Amino acid sequence: MLELLAFIALGIAMGIITGLLPGIHVNNLSPMLMALAVASVFAPMSLAAAIMAMTITNTFISYIPSTFLGAPEPGSELSVLPAHRLLMQGKGYEAVELAAIGCFGGLVLSVALVLPMSLLMGPTYKMLRPQMYLLLTAVVVLMVALERSKTKIVWAITIFLLSGFLGLLSLDTNICRSDAALMPLLSGLFGVSALLLSLKNEGKMPEQRIDDRPLEMKRHLKPICVGTAAGAVTGFFPTIGPSQGTVLAQIATRSSGSREFIVSVCSVNMAKALFSFVALYAIGNARSGAAAAVGELMEIGPRELLFLLGVALFVGGIAVILHMKLGRLAARNIGRLPYRATCIAVIASIAGLSFYYSGLVGLLILATSTAIGILPAVVNVKRTHCMGVLMLPCILYFAGLKSGVLSAFGL
Amino acid sequence: MEKITKLGLLCSLVGLAAIYAGAVYVRPSVTPIAKIDNEFIGLKVIISGQVVDLRESNGHLFLTLQDNSDGTMAVPIFSSVRSQLGDSIEMLDEVQVTGEVTLYQGALEVVPEEAGDISIVHSPCLGISSIDNSLIGEPIKVRGIVDKREIVGKGNIILTLGEDGAQLAVFVPSSVAGSSEFPEVHVGYVVQASGWLQMYENELELRITGASNIRVIEAA
Repeated sequence: MLELLAFIALGIAMGIITGLLPGIHVNNLSPMLMALAVASVFAPMSLAAAIMAMTITNTFISYIPSTFLGAPEPGSELSVLPAHRLLMQGKGYEAVELAAIGCFGGLVLSVALVLPMSLLMGPTYKMLRPQMYLLLTAVVVLMVALERSKTKIVWAITIFLLSGFLGLLSLDTNICRSDAALMPLLSGLFGVSALLLSLKNEGKMPEQRIDDRPLEMKRHLKPICVGTAAGAVTGFFPTIGPSQGTVLAQIATRSSGSREFIVSVCSVNMAKALFSFVALYAIGNARSGAAAAVGELMEIGPRELLFLLGVALFVGGIAVILHMKLGRLAARNIGRLPYRATCIAVIASIAGLSFYYSGLVGLLILATSTAIGILPAVVNVKRTHCMGVLMLPCILYFAGLKSGVLSAFGL
Repeated sequence: MEKITKLGLLCSLVGLAAIYAGAVYVRPSVTPIAKIDNEFIGLKVIISGQVVDLRESNGHLFLTLQDNSDGTMAVPIFSSVRSQLGDSIEMLDEVQVTGEVTLYQGALEVVPEEAGDISIVHSPCLGISSIDNSLIGEPIKVRGIVDKREIVGKGNIILTLGEDGAQLAVFVPSSVAGSSEFPEVHVGYVVQASGWLQMYENELELRITGASNIRVIEAA
């Protein structure tokens, strides 16, 4: 028991580290635990618990840097802009609270829905899949049409196509490993570009207000439910990769306000993280690096799954408290940091990590995605058109046209 | 502001052109299977080889390809991709697959993303009369009329295929015969079967390893 608790504590500590450092992901540390498993006498159950603890904690904590520093990790990029908006209104801590509601709500609902979701997801997905590209295309058309004026529509299409082509080149060719390409791509489009512009426009971080009212889960039930369902789909199916999953999640979470949006995106990511482990049991296929590591450690039967879900709930309770404490600490101190220097340091660290993971190609992708990411703000259209980076490859994938398009470009 | 717009657009286009040029330079080419190791994980490759094993499960198809380099590679074709394939894949077919190299349960595999990533060249069937002891232990594909159908042991099926007066026994183990994907096969049907040639009680016999390895060409 003590060994198990020690490993859960280790997992939580690693989850905090991976969550706080932009660009370091659970998948980077899972192999370390695997190596430990090979070389050690520890029970595989304890190591699996550590991996689960790390995954759950990381999902919570990763919203702190994405809110206060504008540095997204894959999956949290969609929440960066609404969270950054709240930060600029002095409500950064509220964004942290919303992330906590989304993550914790998503966790509890996912655990409650493991059985029905596992039974329902197959038929629903099979029914929708043939029409998925039409659904995605309709979303893009709607997104563009909402710009209203002709000039803005032309810019929206241009930005969508530029980011879409960049996504296709970076994620579906051999120029870079697709998992390594996601970080510079999303950081450039949604993080570095916003930071560069805020360097020009805003000299000072507004003072952050900390509200001590208790969290209200009830008000956010709808985005939690929608987000959890979308996250379950992305965590479950073997043919939905990170890009397809994020786009599906985006469609499912087209909530009306920034607050609902943050809650639902957080629920998506938590459900996605949890269901990638459920998939190990239900379809025998790991849907994330962390789940694959658990799959290598032990055979997942109903007992093991129940154990992992128990660990997830236990860790979720601890992680939500840590998340709020760290969020409060960040909100109190972010104003003390010199804003310009902090922005520059974050940009430099993203550039450094891009270079570390993908070399010069990573830097090239980061520079290009940043250049595209700057365009929506300067031509005054919505930055969501940059989601073309994932949506265009997705539409082509679901339409069965990706290979054809790549060959047409000689790739 | 207009300056920034122009600069942003220019940098985007120059960056895209550079990434495109790089992608063309490193586009996937046919790679000998034996050369593919952990360094390839996450990269796209093209492999071309003969199907030496084929299994079905829950609508997914799992192939093992072997090429001239003597390497073998697992190729999972998930049901969503399989349902888009216009053609069936059989043992001994020559298949070219474009896909990402991934690690699954400690072993490398090449995963095609859509039907366009797979091209199939069917191999011809061997005449039953041309089969002799020299082929024992080799995978072969034959076509013939079912002359006899017997159930032996605990649900195993033995089909006797005939062609131009020559006959060959086809052994279908109960695990394959009992699967929902195994087709209805009766006397008089023309079937195509592929599997491994073996000697059983001094008689040559074709052993089927999966339900996809037998296909009804014509029902009587």
